Amino acid sequence: MKLVTAVIKPFKLDDVRSALESFGVHGMTVSEASGYGRQKGHTEVYRGAEYTVDLVPKIRLEVLLDDGDVDDVVEVIVKTSQTGRIGDGKVWVAPVDTVVRVRTGERGVDAL
Amino acid sequence: MDAAQGPALEETTSGAGPDLHTKRFRTARAAVVDAGDLSAAQRRKALSDLCDRWLAEIYGPLPTPGMALVAVGGYGRREILPGSDLDVVLVHDGSRDPAEVARIADSVFYPVWDARVPLDHSVRSLDDAAQVAGGDLKVALGLLDARHVAGDPDMTHALAERNLAAWRRAAARRLPELRETVREREQRSGELAYLIEPNLVDSYGGLRDTVVLRAVAASWVADWPHSPAVEESRAWLLTVRDALHRSTGRRADRLLLQEQDDVARLVGLLDADVLLRRVSEAGRAIAYASEVGWRAVDRTLRSRSRVPLLRRRVTRRPLTDGVVEHDGQAVLARDAPLESDPTLAVRAAAAAAQAGVPLATATLERLVAESPDLPVPWPPSARDAFVRLLGAGRDGIPVWEDLESAGLVVRWLPDWERIRHRPQRTPIHRHTVDRHSIEAVAEGAELARRVSRPDLLLVAALLHDVGKGWPGDHSATGAVIAEGMAARMGFTEADVAVVSELVRHHLLLPAVATSRDLEDPATTRMVAELLGSVEQLDLLATLTEADARAAGPAAWTPWRAALVRDLVARTRAVLEGEHPERFGSGDEHPADLWARTLAESGAFDVLVTAPDLDQVCRVTVVAPDRVGLLAAVAGVLALHRLEVRGASVDTIDGAAVQVWRTVSEFGPPPDDAVIRRDLVKALDGSLDVEARLARRSQDRRPPAIHIAAPRVHLVPDASHTATVLQVRAHDEPGLLHRVASLLAHARVAVRSAVVDTLGADVVDVFYLVDEGGGPLDADRAQGVRDLVAEALGSRA
Repeated sequence: MKLVTAVIKPFKLDDVRSALESFGVHGMTVSEASGYGRQKGHTEVYRGAEYTVDLVPKIRLEVLLDDGDVDDVVEVIVKTSQTGRIGDGKVWVAPVDTVVRVRTGERGVDAL
Repeated sequence: MDAAQGPALEETTSGAGPDLHTKRFRTARAAVVDAGDLSAAQRRKALSDLCDRWLAEIYGPLPTPGMALVAVGGYGRREILPGSDLDVVLVHDGSRDPAEVARIADSVFYPVWDARVPLDHSVRSLDDAAQVAGGDLKVALGLLDARHVAGDPDMTHALAERNLAAWRRAAARRLPELRETVREREQRSGELAYLIEPNLVDSYGGLRDTVVLRAVAASWVADWPHSPAVEESRAWLLTVRDALHRSTGRRADRLLLQEQDDVARLVGLLDADVLLRRVSEAGRAIAYASEVGWRAVDRTLRSRSRVPLLRRRVTRRPLTDGVVEHDGQAVLARDAPLESDPTLAVRAAAAAAQAGVPLATATLERLVAESPDLPVPWPPSARDAFVRLLGAGRDGIPVWEDLESAGLVVRWLPDWERIRHRPQRTPIHRHTVDRHSIEAVAEGAELARRVSRPDLLLVAALLHDVGKGWPGDHSATGAVIAEGMAARMGFTEADVAVVSELVRHHLLLPAVATSRDLEDPATTRMVAELLGSVEQLDLLATLTEADARAAGPAAWTPWRAALVRDLVARTRAVLEGEHPERFGSGDEHPADLWARTLAESGAFDVLVTAPDLDQVCRVTVVAPDRVGLLAAVAGVLALHRLEVRGASVDTIDGAAVQVWRTVSEFGPPPDDAVIRRDLVKALDGSLDVEARLARRSQDRRPPAIHIAAPRVHLVPDASHTATVLQVRAHDEPGLLHRVASLLAHARVAVRSAVVDTLGADVVDVFYLVDEGGGPLDADRAQGVRDLVAEALGSRA
């Protein structure tokens, strides 16, 4: 099992979510996040006074998947959230030892 | 209590044996809780009686002289709900051996614990009880409801009498203490009338406050409220609490969203909305009675203070025409034109709110009963006062609540009725719609310096959710309703349109910021086209923040704020390229022909018109221009207690033409000759305006309410021929004079100026030029700004 985590631009959330749902992914965790990567925040000029936006608002999205679905899902996320400009975000995949469904106590793939 | 003594006790309580009592009690109790045909009041009574009988049975065989089992608190009032604790005191005369007392206590309390009935108990001698009650308010309050259950009735009687006598004796010390606990509780648990998930007991206006009111009445310092509404509200809240206990199966006081439908069904109401609305009404009635009660306490305690009557100084100062502050409350002046002046109610409310004092109850009652309805559209003085009422911000909320409870708000704005006490079902909101609107106004008052039209900001904040009273998308519906309401208030057509558009778009910025690509020029272009001007954008951005802050901490996270700020900055860049910023409310008078002709002849003259229907009199001043003229005129007007509502100041070929719209603070305005004489004296230095104003401001109490700090800024690119300085501040007498004096001392000439008083806020724009008649250089301009900002900021 794998955990796919994506950090994307906030306005792309709806697109990504509906793309994932039509792919068959129905559960995910979404949170508001702030951060920066190569984008390093950006500098705005407002009425002659420069101010720095240190942390850029992003959406963090997490999906637990069976190993076989991972590549497709990553591709769906990347394709839908791409604008081609700096700050589009990142997607990464990490192995997961075990998953337990709290309600039933099911473990492993059954709990996905 | 010594558990090791347990076994020995059971021997003393032989006979029927505790187990038998307990079993019978539990069965009977369950039957009463489940009985669907009992009303809540019948159930409370039945449960109390049952507990009385049970405890009397348990107590039965115990020695009685000099000892009694006493019900206190809610049990003392026979208000046992399905989840209630039993509050009891075992009181004794102190003559028994302590070990024996402990043994008796155990034999009373063990069966109760064994029956798993929650018990709040204490064992005290009469002297102990008096001592503990003297230090612990909660104990003293509980004992006020003392009721005999078993044992020696003389002991119960002695306990209750001693406590009541002590309570009355120490009222002057204890009531302020009690009031402090009420305030702390309000901070912690909010106000019952406005919460979506209220605590029926602890929220302000809840059951606890009726107990407090009883305690106040018992002290003889103030009466129990005469209105039957309090007793009815109390009974109703007990009924809801009874249903909540039955629905949750435990002692629960907070009416959570998830329980509301079930509770509504149990009390026989249609749905949770109806339930919450009725709970709100009860909360408001109790809160209002509490306010009235506490004010009476304050007055009585003050008058009982040791200062001899003649030497005691009752503060009495005029607040506005017809309204006086007397002893910490706003009251009507003896000759107030109540029946002939429909604006008096709103003016009195504004004056009270701005002074940070409540309207006296009798005054409020007279205003409700006797003042005629406001004409529609409202006259400007009523609108202006209404905006000042809103501009008092958080400190003005108590005045607003009093007006609301008295029904004046709905009389002024009938459409308000639809959102009164209206609950809303979204996780981000804490308050009912009406209270959320007022919270948004308070947040808006805090942010008022960010916009050039604070009056429109405050009104839009008040009305932004008014559409929630009607079906459909509340922004779109609200825009239509708000249009009607703003027109009713007498705003100009253009201003009505601004308010209506603000309401229509009040969710636009967060929606776009979180769901659209901000780097796409089409996004910002769309927002810019919808809003049309930087002024409108600033208003909307500020309204958005005020709305979100009012909703609750979850609605304005740094994450959301950053996205909205980004969108606003980008939209501003688009708008600034296209539209220059507009200033002023647009209804200033141009200098008329008379003034222009005079100006051309180089004359010096002053003309004061008689007050128009709305008490506004125009003061026109024509004079050869010189540095310091504006300061002198503003100062002389302030000296004559003429409040400046607006002014336009122009220079035509070396002659200044100033048209001032003023309202006389008290009585008729002075005539032209007096103003002219003082102006000449002020200009030649024989009248020290500054000193006179300073002396007067010593008599004036600084505002008791919190006001937002002033903002002074240079507006770049607003003019090629002058430096434009904008001052946004809370209005106070002589403010314009101070700013103009600072400019004069800096040897800067004011070529023209637009002055606007919008409710309690002023927005003044000065076009400054140097000795050569051109704009100031950048350093000097910044220096002048800093000078003014520092002078105003240090006083704020």
